[in-house]
Amino acid sequence: MFPSSPTAGLAQNTSYKVVLPFYIYGALSFLIATILLLFSSSALVQHYFHPQTLAITHAMALGWGTMMILGASHQLVPVLIEGKLYSDALAYLSFLSAAIGIPLLVYGFYHFYFGWEAQWGAILINAAIVFYLINIAVSMIKSKKENVHAVFVFTATLWLLITIIVGLFLVFNFTHNILSQDSLHYLPLHAHLGIIGWFLLLVLGVASRLIPLFLISKYHNVKILWWIYGLVNFGLISFIVIFLYIGKSWLYFFPLSAILISIIMFGFFCKKAYLDRLRKKVDDQLKISLFSVLMMLLPLLVLLIIILMMLFSVDDPKLILTYGFCIFFGWITAIIFGMTFKTLPFILWNKAYHDKAGMGKTPNPRELFNNKIFQIMSVFYLAGFILLIAGILISNTFILKFAALLLVVTAFLYNTNVFKMIMHKPKKI
Amino acid sequence: MNEITNDEIKCERALEDLHNVMDPEIGLNVVDLGLIYQLDFDDTDKKLYCTMTLTTQFCPMGESIQSGVTNSLEQTFPDYAANVKVIFDPPWSAEKISPEGRDYLNY
Repeated sequence: MFPSSPTAGLAQNTSYKVVLPFYIYGALSFLIATILLLFSSSALVQHYFHPQTLAITHAMALGWGTMMILGASHQLVPVLIEGKLYSDALAYLSFLSAAIGIPLLVYGFYHFYFGWEAQWGAILINAAIVFYLINIAVSMIKSKKENVHAVFVFTATLWLLITIIVGLFLVFNFTHNILSQDSLHYLPLHAHLGIIGWFLLLVLGVASRLIPLFLISKYHNVKILWWIYGLVNFGLISFIVIFLYIGKSWLYFFPLSAILISIIMFGFFCKKAYLDRLRKKVDDQLKISLFSVLMMLLPLLVLLIIILMMLFSVDDPKLILTYGFCIFFGWITAIIFGMTFKTLPFILWNKAYHDKAGMGKTPNPRELFNNKIFQIMSVFYLAGFILLIAGILISNTFILKFAALLLVVTAFLYNTNVFKMIMHKPKKI
Repeated sequence: MNEITNDEIKCERALEDLHNVMDPEIGLNVVDLGLIYQLDFDDTDKKLYCTMTLTTQFCPMGESIQSGVTNSLEQTFPDYAANVKVIFDPPWSAEKISPEGRDYLNY
């Protein structure tokens, strides 16, 4: 009676064994980054090119942000392309390379020593991203069902590859002078390739699928998403051209405007999805994800001030530090908080109850973590983040230390909930 | 060719038990969500055919929901082999939710 496969058109889940190591590594990296912050908070009253600040930033960008996103995307890309992940082995290789490379690189930054540790760290991270890119590309080719979200993810991964190749050159430039200028000069290029090309493009591509999905909203507007895609890429490419070949500060308003418009359009997309939602009660995890969309505007505001000051040849390293920390401790951390507790419970629920579904009452996936701990964590996080930014702006080490302590507690609570889910023992049905 | 029927009494039994299969994200069962499109019984070969959908083609819980429906049907009709097919044409829409489901969702 059923001529075609009963699962035709149905996304095939990636094994939890592939995804979990990324989530665990990401969670632990966040804890380590906040502990580093606690013991290095005095570095935040100095220049942003401080070894400890660079170590914290890379622990956050690679260990926390990138590892969490890599884990989630190994799970989500098959969903987006309605197919399956090409190779589990490539995913494991990608994890192993990154897991070894990231601490080596962070160690190099922390001690400002760019010997074999930092160099091999950078090489291994590059290898991890190449493995990931091959896996995603072949999965998409095999599925033949590319859509706008998958194009966002693929383009973001290409930008990530460019970011880390530039990063590799910067690491070797410390000891071999392979570039025409010192590594500090290229830092804005490296940072924006990663922030806009990788994080922003990927978050917009995935969130534009997940937010309507979790709101049970039928709103979908492919046209607006293509506009957002075009604006983000235009903004980044124009920034690269201005940075490398023109160098006039006022021209940076063009990429800034393109990115700002794209974020406003994404906010409009989220608002329409929210208004068109079937589920009236929005849970805390989705609230913090939606809040993170607003948090994207904060670094852009800081960037606007930085560009205005550049026009008058005023350079304020504090503002640049504020800009970076608004991104890594603000927007990226908030969206990871929201999305961890929207995706991980389902991955672990599938692991525990897939075979038992329909045979009796099973717990709801959101019962796998403690929502009270999530709420307390959110309060600590918001207080810690606000104080951290205030501490950087007024260069107060006491406030910075207190903020770092609040963020350590946040990371501890986050890890508690993540490990509570991972250790969940299936209930007898 | 075997006769395929959608025996009303058997369908009602099946649907009653399918009330226990939940869409874990929405917290509502597959029947009230309007995900079950058709049930047919092949009494000669002891096969049970179910055609269903999901709220979205991108549903990451799709496989589990499908497996839940299969398990429930085989538990209700142990003599039958359940064959559950997920289709997206016609697509699911909110209009397919039962009045009880709408009450639950405040929709």
